[in-house]
Amino acid sequence: MELSGEEKKLKALFSELKATDEQTAPRFAGVWNRAQIAPRRIRAFNPAFVAATALLVFGLVSLAVWSRYSQRMPQQPMVVSVPTAPAPTGTTAPSPSNEPDMKPVTPHNILAASRANRLAARRHAMLVAANRKLTRDAKTIADWQSPTTALLTSPSDEIFSSLPQFNQSTTQLKSFLPTRSN
Amino acid sequence: MDIAELKGELEKLHSASFGWALSCCRRDHAEAEEVLQTVYLKILEGKALYRGESSLKTWLFAVIRKTAIGEYRKRLLRNLVFIGSTEKRDEPATSADAPPVIFEKSEIQKQFRVALAKLPPRQREALHLVFYEDLSLREAADVMGISIGSARQHYERGKKHLREWLSDTETENGIVWRRKETQSAV
Repeated sequence: MELSGEEKKLKALFSELKATDEQTAPRFAGVWNRAQIAPRRIRAFNPAFVAATALLVFGLVSLAVWSRYSQRMPQQPMVVSVPTAPAPTGTTAPSPSNEPDMKPVTPHNILAASRANRLAARRHAMLVAANRKLTRDAKTIADWQSPTTALLTSPSDEIFSSLPQFNQSTTQLKSFLPTRSN
Repeated sequence: MDIAELKGELEKLHSASFGWALSCCRRDHAEAEEVLQTVYLKILEGKALYRGESSLKTWLFAVIRKTAIGEYRKRLLRNLVFIGSTEKRDEPATSADAPPVIFEKSEIQKQFRVALAKLPPRQREALHLVFYEDLSLREAADVMGISIGSARQHYERGKKHLREWLSDTETENGIVWRRKETQSAV
């Protein structure tokens, strides 16, 4: 690399700087030995590790305190009856033999229980209404008759629908025989 | 390369490494020493591993640069944390209060350091690597982790800034430099 005049000047300034730095540079052995000792010190005061550990301990303590507090909370003696939801296919009301579920309810789930009750009652009412409609429709279909049903009946229907008996008179039997034409 | 062999090579490069660490640490001797110590520690722990993909000097200088940047960020964070404290912590040394003041041989050298300190970091690094460490622009680009084109730009701009500043200084001192377009370092 060929240097021009200005670059030579810059090079000279940098060389002078380098010479100064070399005089003030620490000994290699000293820096190297300190580096060999350093790891233990650095590991002992790793702030990230300390912060993570502190956070973990705080989390565990909080969890323990919360769990103890929740255990100490007084159990509510109140028992609320929650009727079970009726079977979806049945149109009748729930049988009296079905005892309502008796379960203790804490203040936390009273609201949920009442909501479930309302929902079950509404579903039951909807099912009853749907079944009534189905029954009415089925009855209407069963009673329906075609307008031409009367045309399918004739006076000789009785002959076709009955058989001659042995104790019948011949005149009556003749009516079953085909007429002969000579 | 085993650790004993590497230690020998590092010892040969120690002086140059310290000079580069100084440049990366804005001429703060204590910080540069700490950075160099951290670099040796990284090498000892195997966190910085030389794979022979480039010259040892280039690799070592890249590690020093990266470590210096990391240490600088840590120091900034520490200063932010202790911003309310009255104690002055790790203030970067200026050219005026640094220990090498006693070694100032000339006024020009002192002014040169000031001019160098005023340059943008990339330009200062490029000039330092080329003029101080005798690296080519390609090697300087490898150390700085940039393309050779960018390194050339930083080098030329830095040289221009330094030339202007030194020209003003020397005009004040009655010295006139010969102006001439310079060739690239590569």
